[in-house]
Amino acid sequence: MLGAYVTAVVFTFYRVNPIVSLVISGPIVFVLGILIQIAVFRRLVYVSRSAEELESRSLLACFGLMFIIQNVVGLIFGGTPVGASYLFVSIDILGERFLLNMIVAAVISIILSLVMYLLLRFTKIGLAMRATVEEPAGAQLVGINIFRIHAVSFGLGALLAALAGSMLIMIYFMTPYVGPQYTFIALAVIILGGMGSFMGSLLGGFIIGYVYYVSLTIDPLITYAVVYLFIIILLIIRPKGLFGR
Amino acid sequence: MLRVKAMLRFKDVNLTKTLPFVLILVILVFVPPFLPDYFLSIFRDVLMWMALSISWHFFSGSTKYISLGSAAFFGIGLYFTAKYMELSMTYGYYPVLPLPVIVLLAGLVNFALALVVGLVTLRLRGIYFAILTFSVSMVVMNAVQWWEIKVTGTRGTFFPVFDTLTGYYAIFVCTIVTLLLTTLVRRSKFGLALKMIGESEEAAVHVGVNASLYKTLGFAISAMLMGFMGGCFATRVNGYVNTDIAFNSLYSFMPAVMTLLGGAGTVYGPVIGSITMSLLSAYLSVTLTHYFLIILGLILVVIVMLMPDGIMGMVEKIKTTKLFGSKKAT
Repeated sequence: MLGAYVTAVVFTFYRVNPIVSLVISGPIVFVLGILIQIAVFRRLVYVSRSAEELESRSLLACFGLMFIIQNVVGLIFGGTPVGASYLFVSIDILGERFLLNMIVAAVISIILSLVMYLLLRFTKIGLAMRATVEEPAGAQLVGINIFRIHAVSFGLGALLAALAGSMLIMIYFMTPYVGPQYTFIALAVIILGGMGSFMGSLLGGFIIGYVYYVSLTIDPLITYAVVYLFIIILLIIRPKGLFGR
Repeated sequence: MLRVKAMLRFKDVNLTKTLPFVLILVILVFVPPFLPDYFLSIFRDVLMWMALSISWHFFSGSTKYISLGSAAFFGIGLYFTAKYMELSMTYGYYPVLPLPVIVLLAGLVNFALALVVGLVTLRLRGIYFAILTFSVSMVVMNAVQWWEIKVTGTRGTFFPVFDTLTGYYAIFVCTIVTLLLTTLVRRSKFGLALKMIGESEEAAVHVGVNASLYKTLGFAISAMLMGFMGGCFATRVNGYVNTDIAFNSLYSFMPAVMTLLGGAGTVYGPVIGSITMSLLSAYLSVTLTHYFLIILGLILVVIVMLMPDGIMGMVEKIKTTKLFGSKKAT
């Protein structure tokens, strides 16, 4: 949920090779995410009586955290765009011209998605996570420490967002205040794919990306209108997302 | 004469309860002309956020359908008013109407749009509804921007500047209208139906509440009120507005945040929340310019953790535990 603006924190590390620095930025944000979860959200989960209540309170807390993180970063690094242009060369693949850093980012993203999928599907902690989502009370009964699982999954989410940010910074310039726009696209992708569906998110991401770039070639001004209109239409046709249950 | 006496003797009017409201009203009407511009602008902003929060709370607070599309309706109101004024002043395409009429028109445009959106989005609940309404606001913003740049060939709209006092009174009247309308509806059958939908939609449908009708109508009324406020806000933006100003997603989130801060589901929640939040930001942005948003964020997080039901929730709690005796709330 903290999403892409956490990546602003790791801007300083980009004197190092950005791909190497994935190893640095990831764990830092992972730990930060866990700390935030323990400090703020654990208490919220504890005092909330229903999921709806937790949702609205988390929204408020996230707003506060967003203000804090964005502006602490803004205070330290200023509001000027920061970048770490890397591998900014073009290569030819099958006669089409691509930017090498985009290809690298795409490959790393695919690898990360695969790792996440395997983690969720085949490891014990992945099983525990899925159990916690589906049946918190039952998960506790069979001996899963759901508070620890919450913390770890929150940390993992932050880690993935940070890695995405680290890769984006190779391609685009960013300010501490770019977060919300990525957060919303990400949220829309999840909703589009259907919550709780891994393949749905993957497919949703591809679809949104495709729609975005196709509309970009038609008229750069209309892209966001088209993307969001697409989301609206899909949601009307399939209210629970593509793969929602 | 007899009538007035009868009204004064009316048993239900609790003087200790109504007196503060009357006092506040009198202050808000008669003091502003004597205030310096800066304080006037703070008053105005507090009132604006209050009206937005109340209209957000009117639909989303009672039905628990969290809408993040307020910016669309607010922006349409603002843009409609600005564009209309620009067109009628510069080109004379349209008759020159007084501001209240334009604002009224802006509200009606919103009402119609929200009816359509409401009809289409009725099937969605929870986060799906939130995403959908947010998408609506983004589509409207980008479509307006596209239309503006491609068709009219300009970026933004210029129109006459209003002085602060006029702006204040416009927003003040709009806030009062919002308050009255939402209070009236809240006390009617319609308001009860909305509340019941929020508590259990299935049960509401089962007892014979026409949930679809009330939800759509509630959404449309809430959007209309936001449109009114957007129209009045045209007096505040110093004669220039573009899509980034009018459809800023701040207007989608802040009403929700303020209402939750004050305590959703209570009458005074959005009022208290918006006053607290806007006064705090007005004060902090002057005294601690560089750290202001950080501190605002910290305060938000602390409030969520210590008073999870919002400020009104805390007050209720104190009242019920009799920690401080029967101390007056509000």
